[in-house]
Amino acid sequence: MFYREAGQFKTSYGADQAIFPILQDKLALAGIMAVALFVAPMIASTYWLETILVPFLVFSMAAIGLNILTGYCGQVSLGTGGFMACGAFFAYKLTTAFPDLHIVLVFLLSGLGTAMVGILFGIPSLRIKGFYLAVATLAAQFFLIWMFNKFGWWTNYSASGVISAPPRSVAGDLFITGPLASPIVKYLFLVVFVAVLALIAKNLVRSRIGRSWMAIRDMDIAAEIIGIRPMIAKLSAFAISSFYIGIAGALWAFVYTGSVEALAFEINRSFQVLFMIIIGGLGSILGSFLGAAFIVLLPILLNNLPSLIGVQMSVDLIGHLEFMIFGALIIFFLIVEPHGLARLWQIGKEKLRLWPFPY
Amino acid sequence: MSSTDTSMAAPESDQALGAQPPAEIARRFDEVLLSVDEISLSFGGVKALTGISFDIRKGEIRAIIGPNGAGKTSMLNVINGFYHPQEGTITYQGEVRKQMRPHRAAKQGIARTFQNVALFKGMSTLDNIMTGRLLKMKRNLFWQALYWGPNLKEEIEHREVCERIIDFLEIQSIRKTPVGRLPYGLQKRVELARALAMEPTLLLLDEPMAGMNVEEKEDMSRFVLDVNEEFGTTIALIEHDMGVVMDISDRVVVLDYGRKLADGTPDEVRGNQAVIDAYLGVSH
Repeated sequence: MFYREAGQFKTSYGADQAIFPILQDKLALAGIMAVALFVAPMIASTYWLETILVPFLVFSMAAIGLNILTGYCGQVSLGTGGFMACGAFFAYKLTTAFPDLHIVLVFLLSGLGTAMVGILFGIPSLRIKGFYLAVATLAAQFFLIWMFNKFGWWTNYSASGVISAPPRSVAGDLFITGPLASPIVKYLFLVVFVAVLALIAKNLVRSRIGRSWMAIRDMDIAAEIIGIRPMIAKLSAFAISSFYIGIAGALWAFVYTGSVEALAFEINRSFQVLFMIIIGGLGSILGSFLGAAFIVLLPILLNNLPSLIGVQMSVDLIGHLEFMIFGALIIFFLIVEPHGLARLWQIGKEKLRLWPFPY
Repeated sequence: MSSTDTSMAAPESDQALGAQPPAEIARRFDEVLLSVDEISLSFGGVKALTGISFDIRKGEIRAIIGPNGAGKTSMLNVINGFYHPQEGTITYQGEVRKQMRPHRAAKQGIARTFQNVALFKGMSTLDNIMTGRLLKMKRNLFWQALYWGPNLKEEIEHREVCERIIDFLEIQSIRKTPVGRLPYGLQKRVELARALAMEPTLLLLDEPMAGMNVEEKEDMSRFVLDVNEEFGTTIALIEHDMGVVMDISDRVVVLDYGRKLADGTPDEVRGNQAVIDAYLGVSH
């Protein structure tokens, strides 16, 4: 009853092509941004900010990156962890070599560096598809992690192989890394940074380049006939996807954990991000956020649920239950809606438009 | 916009009518747009095409017919660069070459539809048609990331072209529907729309009416004729419905077992004994 486009007439194609053509959606987005920017920092505890919201935003960024490659361009990749590691170590080398370089610039440059690596490991995609490509990207995963472990140069010869983010601020005293960084500043920085990059991703996927990715994904032969060059479409998807994933890796190392070793970006991380986009919705920017929220929040929720409802359980029992319920929920969601939470949301909106009538 | 208008509105079919009495539908075309000479194509030991030569003249509707497995689709694949023939040459717009490349063919105005619909299933009808405009869009990555300003202007320009095609093919109501959900007949129409969005000089249609009922076939025939007349697009089509082929095409080439059996106007082909034998079989 409240979610209708009735009476909202579009008089130009420009208005029709807006990301949120319906007024209610625009208001909802404004509301969410207002809550994220003003309400959340005031009411959220340090625990909430540091262990839930910050990783959620970092994972969202990685999920957007992988979604561009897998969801939009149809190239399955298991190298996400490796590319995140690239971003993290590139950023570390950059900021230790040039301490005066602004940290945002460092993040963007390390993203660009990762994009180059992405192009390199994307070359096999010109010849192989599907599962075979997934296996080829595994090579990237293992090779990159091995490289960062093997050569001390990447960690500036630290004995433990761990890199610690030096203190860096976005402006003045607003430190986002190092011991002086406050959770609120970290969080607000991430909200703005991720929102801007998500908007750019959305713009890309609804422009020419996004259409060429989707064309390659859906029917590569027909795409070629239309004049899309598969090489350019696929490699640009690898580049832009890796750009996002690299930045996510740098944010992980610098803003979220503060210090990290290469093993943090092992194959498990790749699977985690892949699950996010499968559960959230392939080929959807919103789905990247929903999937990240699902994967980050659910374990925490499951962990805290027994004590919240007053049931006493041993810690290891909770741990095992968490795994089982988590797995069951993933299977449940995939059966109910194989296209992910984003599609569920879409269906919900369509139902809401007709409510209270069935059709 | 101005660029699109000039290339779309150039009726070249008028020239033919004057010479003949109006009752006679035979149109005359002189300028050769594409010709294939002695094309031979084989896959390993299988000879798909053997020494095929024919031409397609500017502005005509050219039908390629033949029994199943005759090499019709292979011929189209050779023309737009999917298959590379072992022998022979292809002359397109005066340029002689051994083989085409899909990207080059698209750039030079060869569009096509497929026998089994090859749409982008995950995208809406409008987005599918917009992909046909990809080669005409010029904004770089920076503007696309920004979307507003020049990129939005460009998007809207091309949207307008697509909307005209949507009007033309009467598919306004399914603009925003994902094509995977559309019935077969409409999917075929969307595929034609996508090909038209490329503003092709030469349009290759691979069985545009396969699996359609009479009404749908009539609609599709009307669209094919309208495209040919209004946009002056040269059309080469493969079709199994002989009624349709004889009615709408100007010239017909007949293939069988990778060889050319006959070439000429529908009437000539209809009377050709080799063609009748190929279709009906000969008693030995």
